[in-house]
Amino acid sequence: MKKNRLIDLQNISVTLGDTPVLQGMNLYIRDKEFITLLGPSGCGKTTTLRLIAGFLQPDSGEVFFDGKRVGDTPPHRRPVNTIFQRYALFPHLNVADNIAFGLRLQHKSRVDITRTVDEMLSLVNLKSFANRAVASLSGGQQQRVAIARALAVKPKVLLLDEPLGALDLKLRKDMQLELKKIQRRMGITFVYVTHDQEEALSMSDTVVVMDGGEIQQIGTPIDIYNEPVNAFVADFIGESNIVDGIMLRDDLARFSGHEFVCVDHGFAKDEAVDIVVRPEDVDVVAPDVGMLRGTVTTCTFKGVHYEMIVDIGGFLWMIQTTDYSPVGAFIGLHIEPDAIHVMKKSKYSGLFGDYSCFTEEYYELSEPEEA
Amino acid sequence: MTKPQGAEHRLARTQRGKGAWVSAMYALIIFLFLYAPMVVMVVISFNGKNSIVEMDGFSFRWYKEFAENRALMTGLRNTLILALCASGAATLIGTAAAIALDAWKKSLTRSALMVVTDIPMMAPDIVTGISMMLMFVLFGTIVGNGGSLGFGTLLIAHITFCVPYVILSVLPRLRQMDPHLAEAAMDLGCTPFAAFRRVVLPNITSSIVTGALMAFTLSLDDFVISHFTTSGSFNTLPLEIYSITRKPVRPSIFALSTLIFVGIFLLLLLINFAQSRAERKTIR
Repeated sequence: MKKNRLIDLQNISVTLGDTPVLQGMNLYIRDKEFITLLGPSGCGKTTTLRLIAGFLQPDSGEVFFDGKRVGDTPPHRRPVNTIFQRYALFPHLNVADNIAFGLRLQHKSRVDITRTVDEMLSLVNLKSFANRAVASLSGGQQQRVAIARALAVKPKVLLLDEPLGALDLKLRKDMQLELKKIQRRMGITFVYVTHDQEEALSMSDTVVVMDGGEIQQIGTPIDIYNEPVNAFVADFIGESNIVDGIMLRDDLARFSGHEFVCVDHGFAKDEAVDIVVRPEDVDVVAPDVGMLRGTVTTCTFKGVHYEMIVDIGGFLWMIQTTDYSPVGAFIGLHIEPDAIHVMKKSKYSGLFGDYSCFTEEYYELSEPEEA
Repeated sequence: MTKPQGAEHRLARTQRGKGAWVSAMYALIIFLFLYAPMVVMVVISFNGKNSIVEMDGFSFRWYKEFAENRALMTGLRNTLILALCASGAATLIGTAAAIALDAWKKSLTRSALMVVTDIPMMAPDIVTGISMMLMFVLFGTIVGNGGSLGFGTLLIAHITFCVPYVILSVLPRLRQMDPHLAEAAMDLGCTPFAAFRRVVLPNITSSIVTGALMAFTLSLDDFVISHFTTSGSFNTLPLEIYSITRKPVRPSIFALSTLIFVGIFLLLLLINFAQSRAERKTIR
């Protein structure tokens, strides 16, 4: 187990100015893994990346590469390369010279350099762009040049700092697939930073959810989505209804005035807990057979499904269903035992999960940028 | 209401025509005010006769007289040497200062520093000149070398008033640059110094050249500060001309002034060219 650790961050704390950015962080990264640091802006994910790259020194704690301490190794001697948020291509060099930059520093022969540059250009589908000025390229093309430039020097680890943040949605989806493909083909470790949960889920082997300079949860995308450890993770990844509940005994929980059979155990008798129910896991049924009953307050067509906000005893639930119910309709809801996820109470309890202030603009609100 | 479209078009065109005519006149008047004195001087410098009203054919007579004037030629040589040294040193110092200012994280300290560096630019030349003289004399007296004004003091003074202009030229370019460029270079294997030389420097070269040319021009035509910070031992061209003009002015001064005007004009063209090139590079 220990042998497989390519990068190991132990007890890292970082304070920038007066604000603690990372607090006692422990994280290891396996060889050839696609790991994503996911969190809202200011959660410390970019700081973690800069620590690994060597642009930043921790106030306390140690960084290990391959079991060796690298605290004093400057960035240019670390076997990692970074894709910067705004690409940071060299404007005075053309595409080929940008890609050759690192190779020239390694004093490779001219033949080697030409061959590698050609390889990289075809890897990122920019064969005919070798002599173009980088300023004349589109955002997506600049992104590809940045990837080619970083991969040309054959790093062991590629660090990507919100690399797709500046691209439009369609391009972003294409690049997600392409990045994943490149990672598999080159067989190197990717450490990817993003605040886009969908990006994290679709690309990663491992997702690290961060908030407030602390790791909240580490797991596979499926684990993170299905078994969030606290209200923050449940809310940040996908949509969630999070309600207060009580664990009556193993496999039986009580919330919203009803007892539900569930599949969670290991809690104390009558322990107060947070209950997560994903909007797509709720079935709409007739009011008289429903476990819960409520009134539809909004209903929005989303293409594949309808998204409804249902008022159940004053608590607003989000429900995604293919069955249309008009606003004002009184409906019943049915929840299967395995759709209920029970979490221990945390400092995030009660902060998330209610859709009472939900509006359509919610989606467009936040595209935060990390400083 | 039913006015045909063509009429409106014609109306718009005549209005635009009138506007163009007015602005052309305006430009002409401005140019006349700005350049009429120069033109008069240039014309008279080629006059064959020692008069400003009587014309007597085209001649290089006054240019020859100027070339044979030892004092003026020495002044010209001194001025060029001084301008080269001062602009060179100011460019080095100013560029380094701009880089340091750009790297400064605390914005309050930085803006305070900026104000401090800008003051020599704002202060009247005569104040700068007198205060410099005072400092040089005081310092000279302390080290027991009182009143030794000359090339050294002149050079220090010129560097001082040129540095802010170099900073003013280089700093905005650094600000525009992606702050991650140097990091990207280090990431790819550059030492911090190599990152500066290979990536940062090529991207600010044009603004450094602009700053250097600006410093050179300023040093070349400075009179007031030079007047206070040198003694008879080392005279620049403007000082030499000033001392001559106290006697009746010879047309050779016009010839010299024409040469200076042409020189400065060419330098300004160069500065403009360098600036527009720098701007074109930043357009994404």
